[in-house]
Amino acid sequence: MTDTRTRSSRESILEVKNLVMNYELKDGGMVSAVEDVSFELKKGQSLGLVGESGCGKTSVALTLLQLQAANARVLGGEINLDGINLLELSPEEMRQHRWTDISMVFQGAMNSWNPVYTVGEQIREAMDLHWDPKPTAAEAYEKIVELFNLVGINPEMIERYPHEFSGGMKQRAVIAMALSCDPKVIIADEPTTALDVIVQEQILEELKKIQDELDMSIIYISHDIAVIAEITDLMGVMYAGKLVEIGPTAELFAKPRHPYTWLILSSTPSITGPRRALAPLEGEPPNLLDPPSGCRFHPRCPFATDKCSQEEPPLSEIGEGHMIACWNHEQVPVTLATAEDDSRSANGSQ
Amino acid sequence: MLRFIGRRLVQMFFLFLLFLTLLFFLLDAQPGDITSQFLDPTIPAEIRAQLAERLGLDGSVWSRWWNYMTNFLTGNLGLSFQQYPRTVTDVIAERIPRTLFLFTFATLLSYVLGFALGKRLAWRRGGFSEHAVTISGVLLYTVFYPWFAIIMILIFSSGLGWFPINGFLTPELWRNAPFTGNEVFGQMILSLVIAGLILVAGSYFSRRQQERRPAQIIRLVGYGSAILFMTIFWALKPEMRPFASNILHHSILPVVTLALVAFAGVMLLTRGSMLETLKEDYILTAQAKGVPERDIRDKHAARNALLPVTTSFVLGLAFIIGGGIITETVFSWPGMGALLLTSIVSEDIPVAIGALAFTGVLALVAHLLVDILYAVLDPRIRIQTGN
Repeated sequence: MTDTRTRSSRESILEVKNLVMNYELKDGGMVSAVEDVSFELKKGQSLGLVGESGCGKTSVALTLLQLQAANARVLGGEINLDGINLLELSPEEMRQHRWTDISMVFQGAMNSWNPVYTVGEQIREAMDLHWDPKPTAAEAYEKIVELFNLVGINPEMIERYPHEFSGGMKQRAVIAMALSCDPKVIIADEPTTALDVIVQEQILEELKKIQDELDMSIIYISHDIAVIAEITDLMGVMYAGKLVEIGPTAELFAKPRHPYTWLILSSTPSITGPRRALAPLEGEPPNLLDPPSGCRFHPRCPFATDKCSQEEPPLSEIGEGHMIACWNHEQVPVTLATAEDDSRSANGSQ
Repeated sequence: MLRFIGRRLVQMFFLFLLFLTLLFFLLDAQPGDITSQFLDPTIPAEIRAQLAERLGLDGSVWSRWWNYMTNFLTGNLGLSFQQYPRTVTDVIAERIPRTLFLFTFATLLSYVLGFALGKRLAWRRGGFSEHAVTISGVLLYTVFYPWFAIIMILIFSSGLGWFPINGFLTPELWRNAPFTGNEVFGQMILSLVIAGLILVAGSYFSRRQQERRPAQIIRLVGYGSAILFMTIFWALKPEMRPFASNILHHSILPVVTLALVAFAGVMLLTRGSMLETLKEDYILTAQAKGVPERDIRDKHAARNALLPVTTSFVLGLAFIIGGGIITETVFSWPGMGALLLTSIVSEDIPVAIGALAFTGVLALVAHLLVDILYAVLDPRIRIQTGN
């Protein structure tokens, strides 16, 4: 199911250390959106970040590009991209690093195109800004043709406007644009959310192929765990602004160690796995204006003890490249949870 | 595109006939006519009837309508009752340049400034200066215009004495002038239009440049040649210069007053439109691409915010005459607005219809222009009309 190469021998390209980011509200309140997030990405690796809506996935992504909202405050940490700490750069220096070092495929790729310029013009804009020396018209055209072929769009579409593209084509073109300056890292934020399943599959295949061909490092962000399972080497699970578990994707799926990971997987149907009743994940994510003390997951956790509500568990290694932030991870069963209620099982197994 | 314009022109023609008919009946529905307006009430009835017959006021509404329409379509707009026996065409032709000059000038000024300031306001939303300018904008936008115009006269003409109080020229200066006011006016408008075209061409070619430096040079050359053209144009007409400057001096206060009020509306419209576009995902994409802030504002956000502003601009041009009634009355500017008002008050029906018909033509042409401009500015529309 997953490419299990961990590529651990490779050099590290992106290292995020103890990143803390809050949103400041008008009344002075602070929303703890990203709390102490650390991970490392090696060249050619792909990392998937999963979690419920509002758990801080997109906030992490935007902070990596230094595109966080005006009221966002980065309170600490480091983002080392190929040896440079992005948090120490001036806005102008950061602007030059964008797209050449780190580019992004956005959540709303449908609306990522400015309607009044052709797609070719918009890709060309990025190349004109970042290529050194600036490409001639012929060079730029040649590169865009190459990119269009790579992502599977007819190069005749270069001179067309975004509204002449279908949804899937727009998404492919966005990927082509993200590749136009040969970035070291690409962040794909819900790259396929708005597309139908067939196109979704094609695009994911395309991305994976490109990643292998160009030896690209990609961070996928999705709440669709199936997408992550299919295409990533590493998977990170976020809950309420914190990274609670990270490790090789295959290992996480086979043996989830954090109660939250265990519960989400238990609530996700698998087509290939054995039939079982799905266990729902009870409760709601906490209000990040006033996050729970200790482990942020403890109010919803079936294994919570007193310690969990008082002390924050650190992210610690429990296997090769497998980190987890939980006091009671030994308690988590090896098999997935099933629903106790029989009435649910009929629907659940589909 | 050509087929589209052709179809629209045919539509416009029929719409115009309908408009003219409506005008005719509406004005006919007002009580009384010119004969009851300014003739001695003791006049014998038969003489009154004779006069009505000579002016074509007898007969049924339908026969008069038919007469009017057939005459209108052959270019005969009739005679003015009040300025008898001048033709309506002659009266209107005298007034049009004055109004067009005043309002085109003020409208262009207000849109160029309003758009430039509006996009900056939206861009740096939240600061003290943004609040201050926005609030002054709302103030100007909602001010009672006749009052505002009178206050402007009070301050700048009556108080400071910088500008003449009213009129569009100083009669003493023009008593033995070798030109009529309109001849000078025509030359002024001609020179302005040519200078404007030079500027437009300059900005067009500058926008086509990829690099910032040559773009700036071309724009500066554009400004330079427009100024150079103006200098040469008026240097070649030394005897006309004092008269032109006299008219210009008279036009400054009305233009500034009009522009201030219109500018506020444009600024607020641009600001609102720009705030909408700034929320779009493609702005975030542009930021992620590392596009410099200024280019995001101008090339990505403002370019899209321009669409509603363009509509408002062209339609604004169409309603110049309606708006002109107040301005021209307050500043005693003898243009189309003032003409429309006096002709309606004095039941000079042919002139009133003529003036209103002109407004109608302007409105229709403006709508066509909006459609064409939209197609030029928005590729999504361009494709549809192209098919």
